[in-house]
Amino acid sequence: MDRLVALCCPDLLDEGVRGEELRTFATLCQALGELCPWVEPIRLGIAVFPVRGPSRLLGGDAAVLAAAADAVSRIEPALALQIGVAPGLFAAQLAARQGVIVEQEGLLEFLSPWPISVLARPELASVLPRLGLRTLGQFAQLHHREVFGRFGADAAICLQVAQGKVGELSGLRDPSIGRRLRSLNPTNAPLPSQATFLGGVGLADERVTAAARRLQAQLGASSVMVGYGHGGRSPIDQARLVPFGSRPVVSDNTAPWPGQLPSPSPMTVFSDARAVELRGQDQRPITVDLAGLLSGAPATCALNGSMQRAVNNWAGPWPLVEQWWQAPRQRARLQLLLEPATAVLVVFEDGAWWLEAVYD
Amino acid sequence: MFASVRHLQPRPTLDPKLLAQVRPIAAASSRVLPVVPALQSLFGPRGLQRGSTVRITAQRGSGGSTLALTVLSAPSAAGHWCGVVGMADPGVAAMVGLGVDLRRVVFVPAPGAAWPSAVGELIDGADIVLVRCERPVTHPVARNLVAKARDRQVTLVIVTSTPEQWPLPSDVELSISDARWSGADGGYGHFVHRRAVVSASGRRGAVREHVAALWLPSSDGDVAVAE
Repeated sequence: MDRLVALCCPDLLDEGVRGEELRTFATLCQALGELCPWVEPIRLGIAVFPVRGPSRLLGGDAAVLAAAADAVSRIEPALALQIGVAPGLFAAQLAARQGVIVEQEGLLEFLSPWPISVLARPELASVLPRLGLRTLGQFAQLHHREVFGRFGADAAICLQVAQGKVGELSGLRDPSIGRRLRSLNPTNAPLPSQATFLGGVGLADERVTAAARRLQAQLGASSVMVGYGHGGRSPIDQARLVPFGSRPVVSDNTAPWPGQLPSPSPMTVFSDARAVELRGQDQRPITVDLAGLLSGAPATCALNGSMQRAVNNWAGPWPLVEQWWQAPRQRARLQLLLEPATAVLVVFEDGAWWLEAVYD
Repeated sequence: MFASVRHLQPRPTLDPKLLAQVRPIAAASSRVLPVVPALQSLFGPRGLQRGSTVRITAQRGSGGSTLALTVLSAPSAAGHWCGVVGMADPGVAAMVGLGVDLRRVVFVPAPGAAWPSAVGELIDGADIVLVRCERPVTHPVARNLVAKARDRQVTLVIVTSTPEQWPLPSDVELSISDARWSGADGGYGHFVHRRAVVSASGRRGAVREHVAALWLPSSDGDVAVAE
């Protein structure tokens, strides 16, 4: 759970007739954007952003809170502001009410004195106190199974929130807030057709950034990916996809494609494991022996036990020696040509075959 | 008998300086996106028009993704922004091999049911948007996206496995009919290249009927004309 800064403006929580609150809130979010690019509006009057980056930049959580309060007071000097830091959205909102900074370790201690009613679940708030459970701390002592059986899935999530395992609770966010803020945003107006003359590139970059940000607000930050550190035909092992607006984590063994096979490379490389069954003419499963040889000629290939396709041809297997300094991983790759004309790459590991890539 | 002698007089010529001033600043070529040499014969003399729709029909695994990203490669290398929606696990190395400049491509790999709005947002942001359709697209959704793309002068590249998945005719239709890999031989060798027959057609004479044999991809990882 990321530690979040939550800002709450009590004056803006209820919308008036003139819609002034929404406009103020939009400018406020924009001003906070200069402090941190990941400001997330939660509902009218409440916004959060992760504290880690700004805290490192400004030298401490308290400095971040001061800077955020300063940014708000510059726009609306008279605006009442509650601000706090805690892990997860739920705790962060409570921290804002009290104006405190909660560390990761102090989360349970911070949550436990709050009454059940802060969960905003009327059923729990009426039943649990009658059972003698008046605070989140008392509620957190219950077992997941019991709460799930008696109150259902939503209450089980409430329990996990009370236990500090989960940071989000349904109902905390107003799903329409992104759309409503966007409707105010002047940069959202349809732009004139692509400028191809002087300075056109800057305009295009701005447009695509705005579109990607809107999509991230709608579908989540990691739903929009962009290639990193790569242009044209420079070395393959540096290329990877990263969430738009982020920097890649430097790590060598998570590269999507280490480029160990000769060119051309497959067009689709699966990120999740998909089991395939490879059988010979006699229906016996094909394996790779210790010498790195196939136990027989593959004849059929089936994905998830269904969609069986005939194997027209194959190349390999190529044993893969990886991470020899760690526990050895015995793997071997095989290229298969499936009926009618699909080329795939499968990998053998722990006695089973996995679909790794398709040459689409 | 009323014939005027004026017809016989030569037309007055414009001052070249004045001509230079009234000529539009944006050349006609800016209404066209660049195309890699291997695909030029398929798109014909009109090229890849902004605001047009290109549909690529290919069975799953027979080169549709490769052809679609080849269409994106020249524009991305020229600095145009590209959007790719619904291509779940794109192979980075293969795209680099095709010459796609990854810094100019925004991927929305798994938008789920929100894919039309993802395409709509990218039409607002990019110059060319690639959409991989997994299931049939309804008529109104397709019409909205095509109209928005034409309005914003954004080229839409649609990849489907059957023609029925996209209900509208498109300006350029590319289909892959006969794709064969060579190189793998009973355990020996490795996939070297795929020869594919790509046929192009289109409505309103946007493209004349044309068939080309391509290496899709070639042994270097890019796309080239076969023979």
